Amino acid sequence: MFESFFNQYGFLMVYMVLQATLALSLYLPLTAGQLSLASPGFFALGGYIAAVMSTTVWATNGMFPIPYLLLEMLLGGLASGLLAVVVGVPALRLRGIYLALATIAFVEILRVVSLNLTITGGAVGIFGIPQPFNSSLEYMWVALPLLIACVIFTARLEKSRIGRAFVAIREDELAADAMGVNPTYHKVLAFVIGAMIAGMVGAITAHFLNTWNARQGTFDASINILAFVLIGGSRMTLGPVVGGMLLTALPEILRPVGDVRLIVNGFLLTLGAVLLPQGLISPRVFKRKKVDV
Amino acid sequence: MKPVTRKIAIAFGILAATTFVVAEKVATPIAIGVSVAQTSNTALLGREQVIGAQIAESFFNSRGGVNGTPFKLFFEDTGGDEAGAINAFQTQINKNNVVAIVGPTLSQQAFAADKIADRAKVPVLGPSNTAKGIPQIGDFIARVSSPVSIVAPNSVRAALKINPEIKKVAVFYAQNDAFSTSETGTFQETAKAQGLEITTVQRFQTTDSDFTSQVSAGLATKPELVIVSGLAADGGNLIKQLRLAGYKGLIIGGNGLNTANMFPVCQQYCDGVLIAQAYSPTAAGSLNAAFRTVYKNTYKKEPPQFTAQAFAAVQVIVEALRRVDKAAKVSGAELADVRVALNDAILAGTYNTPLGTISFDKEGEVNQKLFYVAQIKMNPDNKTGSFVYLK
Repeated sequence: MFESFFNQYGFLMVYMVLQATLALSLYLPLTAGQLSLASPGFFALGGYIAAVMSTTVWATNGMFPIPYLLLEMLLGGLASGLLAVVVGVPALRLRGIYLALATIAFVEILRVVSLNLTITGGAVGIFGIPQPFNSSLEYMWVALPLLIACVIFTARLEKSRIGRAFVAIREDELAADAMGVNPTYHKVLAFVIGAMIAGMVGAITAHFLNTWNARQGTFDASINILAFVLIGGSRMTLGPVVGGMLLTALPEILRPVGDVRLIVNGFLLTLGAVLLPQGLISPRVFKRKKVDV
Repeated sequence: MKPVTRKIAIAFGILAATTFVVAEKVATPIAIGVSVAQTSNTALLGREQVIGAQIAESFFNSRGGVNGTPFKLFFEDTGGDEAGAINAFQTQINKNNVVAIVGPTLSQQAFAADKIADRAKVPVLGPSNTAKGIPQIGDFIARVSSPVSIVAPNSVRAALKINPEIKKVAVFYAQNDAFSTSETGTFQETAKAQGLEITTVQRFQTTDSDFTSQVSAGLATKPELVIVSGLAADGGNLIKQLRLAGYKGLIIGGNGLNTANMFPVCQQYCDGVLIAQAYSPTAAGSLNAAFRTVYKNTYKKEPPQFTAQAFAAVQVIVEALRRVDKAAKVSGAELADVRVALNDAILAGTYNTPLGTISFDKEGEVNQKLFYVAQIKMNPDNKTGSFVYLK
């Protein structure tokens, strides 16, 4: 019974963890009040780096060595971080919906570039990416520590001076500036950390899916990740994690419903957004509990 | 649950998974999985495949199923993405306990999901995966859809038969569509091999509707043949704008334009477009006639290629199962053994399908004997039309 359960849902469980981590990459800029939808762009970049490295530079016949996977994650994260600095400094001068539009444009530019390069395999993409593990579930050994590390890092960050600076900028950028918080520095920092997380998740996901193509970093993906954060809750680290896991699992949980499952899925999302505008996990829920005690 | 607790739970799960191995048996009716895109924008193709599989299910079950044992198709939607395809395949393999899977719809999905099935030693038959490298994913992966490199050249040869004077070719393709990009490569190689000169290669997006720059750049090179690889909406608009710009020569359309959905887009300007086909509704053979009749009675039109290919995929699995069953009764046997035996049987057989006679090489690549070229003929109302098959 265990065997069939883990065989059937092993992939989904790891995918939930990966998507939850990806949700954090969008949540971080949001803590500094920046509505950035650039995560899928960095996610795609990290994936392409892993896919290209493992199929060309480190091509192996047998199992792909795990240290190389970790190295790819590092490379993916660093490359995404560098690109984020280059993109972030000018883009973060924009606010609100204009920043969102600029980041959508960024994702589109990356997508069109990857469609046109030969190294990324054009529209078909890169396939036959070497596998470091024998089953989908074993990817948990890399995915789960990454999620835990990111959650701890983000939670600690929020408690630190930098985290409070993020919140100050989110609540009132002008006032924060007047109090001596450097808005540009902190906004770019939040954006870069988010990008690095997305790049690392991309590197794992490329191996995990066994193939990588331009359909991974699209506008649709941006909206999906935004939904993870909004439905989960955008005011606490746990929010995007729960949102990412739940929304990834929901279509599969609803599989027995049959053809209308995506309609039910959409209905549940709408219901969640209407009834819980703060998201599933909001600080208010925790505060009220404390009062009761 | 704390993360550490969860980690321990998972470790325990893996341990449990390796200790309690229960061998599954083949159920009655025998389960065959069909995982194609029933939702997302890929569902336009996936729906046609579902119909083909369903026709095959009732058709072969009414003719004795697998030597008297009925079989049942399990449909698990893949959606349009890679993760969806993997989830659907996992459900087929571990929950529905199918003997084989027909699917997925897109080649990119196949690169992700087929690997999962191959590891689990479950035979997969791709009904519409045409990209290079699909049968090479693993020993358990085969396809009934001929690759682009085999189908596409037929239309170029047909064009040269109609007008042997053609020398200059202009090529257009949708660069954001995986199929179109690989198809245009084949078209360009074929054109070169036939001694034609490619004067220009113009790119567009499947989401474009204005092709003024591509059309004027393309026609400036004075082509005598235009080859378009794209999808119905964009391809149709491009063809219309080419004709409105005064282009009079022959036009070849790729497989993405191989649908009646294009007719309302380019209207009277669709007329005369040549498209290579892996399937012809008018092909000879009693099986194709029976399939065509069933389809026409329900849907009041000719069956499309995707439907015929899905029918053929189910047929191949059923006929191979019959041979496995003759050697040793399938129903009640060990599932893992049947899957391996079925894979060998699929590759070994020759099948008389609506696509004509097909067989497989040892990698799982299909050998299809007959291909067709159709020319679009529009009706006077300019909204409907038909594919007229060239001899």
